[in-house]
Amino acid sequence: MSGTVPTKEDILSAFRAALPVMLGYLAIGLPCGIMESKVGFSPLMSFVLSMTFYSGAGQFMIPSMWLAGSPLYSVIASVSFVNTRQMLYSAAFSPYFSDVSRPLAFFFSATVTDESFGVSLEKFVTDEAWTPRRALLVNLMSMTSWGVANTVGTAVGPVLNLPLAVTSFAMTSIFVCLLVGQPLNRTTAVVVGVAFAGVLVCKLVGLAGPAILFGALAGVVAGMVFEVARGR
Amino acid sequence: MTLSDFAILYVSVLATMLACRCIPLFVLKGRELSPRLTQALGLIPAAAFAALVANDIVSPSAFATNPVQAMVPFAASAVVVVVARKTGSLIWCAIVGMAAYALLTMVI
Repeated sequence: MSGTVPTKEDILSAFRAALPVMLGYLAIGLPCGIMESKVGFSPLMSFVLSMTFYSGAGQFMIPSMWLAGSPLYSVIASVSFVNTRQMLYSAAFSPYFSDVSRPLAFFFSATVTDESFGVSLEKFVTDEAWTPRRALLVNLMSMTSWGVANTVGTAVGPVLNLPLAVTSFAMTSIFVCLLVGQPLNRTTAVVVGVAFAGVLVCKLVGLAGPAILFGALAGVVAGMVFEVARGR
Repeated sequence: MTLSDFAILYVSVLATMLACRCIPLFVLKGRELSPRLTQALGLIPAAAFAALVANDIVSPSAFATNPVQAMVPFAASAVVVVVARKTGSLIWCAIVGMAAYALLTMVI
């Protein structure tokens, strides 16, 4: 972690880790940009939003809700609520950033999202050579791919028509792969089962917006209760 | 959407996003965490990925209108599980997942 300039090995290692996410973002960022163009976003607006706000779910929600006639305050509240799950990611990374400078910790946490969370957390657990600097590079590479795809999508939106359901399943597949990579034990089974059930219940009672946060929290709580009940 | 609408939206969602992304890490960073909290943090990945997958594939309204069609994401996910266990590759999972979803959508 000495110095501030990433080494060639840092860049190559981060690129190898980020590549699947970057390719997935190209597939899903184009349709997202196309939707943004439908509510009047310019390519510059899409680029700025993607390179700072950087949220797939949030950026799909904005044009969907706007086209459905939702008022501005409702769009802001819903998008913000959906993104509260980012708090869990930030908390999960805290043990790996205890000795990291504040600027690096800030830039990392400000640029992490669902996919880069999964990639970097797995690396922190399985790769001793993985560093916060490489994790930040994964974030920046993924974010750039997302930004470029969104910008192109917004620019060519009116003439392109990609099957959104199919392309967005690339991200679902990445989440499935990351889930399968989790340790196989009874506690994980409880966590996964309750998180699934939590999301289902949220959707059934009309709380689709915070379903991910509530489902994940229910899974963590259930896992802790299970561990305590087992006397661990 | 006008430029002023966009500006209000952008500043608002960016502020809440940065708060959610940065505050927990800075609050917990460098602290001696209790074993229970460490244990809880270790459960977040499995819970988060399960919730993300569930959010993508579970749709009560789709089940109400067309149960067979609603099973497509479940079936495609099952194919991805096999690929993930065999290869552990994110790229292969994404490619096979999209192909399986497209094929199943055409067949069903």
